[in-house]
Amino acid sequence: MMALKISLTRIYIFSAAHRLNSEILDEQKNLEVYDKCNNPLGHGHNYKLEITISGIPDRETGMILSQGQLNQKVKNVLDELNYKHLDNEIPFFKHRISSGENIVQYLWDQLDESIGRGMLYHLKLWETNNNSFELDRGR
Amino acid sequence: MNENVTLTRKFEFSASHRYWNEQWSREENDRTFGHNTSPYGHGHNYDLYVTVGGPISEKTGMIINLSELKKIVNEILLEFDHKYLNLDTPYFKDKIPTTENLALVLFGLIDKKLAGYKSLILKRIRLFVKQDTYADVWRDE
Repeated sequence: MMALKISLTRIYIFSAAHRLNSEILDEQKNLEVYDKCNNPLGHGHNYKLEITISGIPDRETGMILSQGQLNQKVKNVLDELNYKHLDNEIPFFKHRISSGENIVQYLWDQLDESIGRGMLYHLKLWETNNNSFELDRGR
Repeated sequence: MNENVTLTRKFEFSASHRYWNEQWSREENDRTFGHNTSPYGHGHNYDLYVTVGGPISEKTGMIINLSELKKIVNEILLEFDHKYLNLDTPYFKDKIPTTENLALVLFGLIDKKLAGYKSLILKRIRLFVKQDTYADVWRDE
């Protein structure tokens, strides 16, 4: 039997507002770096998140994790962000820039704990249709 | 020459299936599989991405002739296209035809067929059951 790996990916959507602004840069520099993303009153995105889990499909269900269970574990995490202003309402981003790079790291920690058993394998966060951020377990 | 080039071709097929574990009560099946338990089955349009690797032929500039890959995979898919996976195919007598299990079956069948082509290797398949759900199978290298 050759060694195969298998993963399952589901795509989820959440919507949130944010503003890119660094506490260690002055007003002029922030505008230069973040341009329109620096708008003082914020702006929003429909974030698309591809969540990949890997493991051996369960003999009884044929699935790595049942879809209902996965949905519930993901919902617990994404409900925290959905229809929120990330910088103002999520403590993690109070003093941390809510860039795609930082959001995907936040999501990794939250989802890895929620899904458990080291199943989380890869995340791909689409901020818009044109830019995405990825993180994997690196094994 | 770089030996890490891969080639991917997309295939489509449509099939129906049902998730049901005979060892369980109706309640347990419904709880685990939700609307996948209807006794009549339900269907999907599957998208299958087949990725192969191997040396690039000096003569053709290709890893494999695309029309040949198309023929090989389409022949395999004949067994699945417009079929009821649980009963029309022999693969799910003791396995539930989940996306994961179907992907594993397809990987095995394609890999077996490609074994006749020396130096060609099936790297990965990606099977979309719906636009928002897919399974990947690849060699653990």
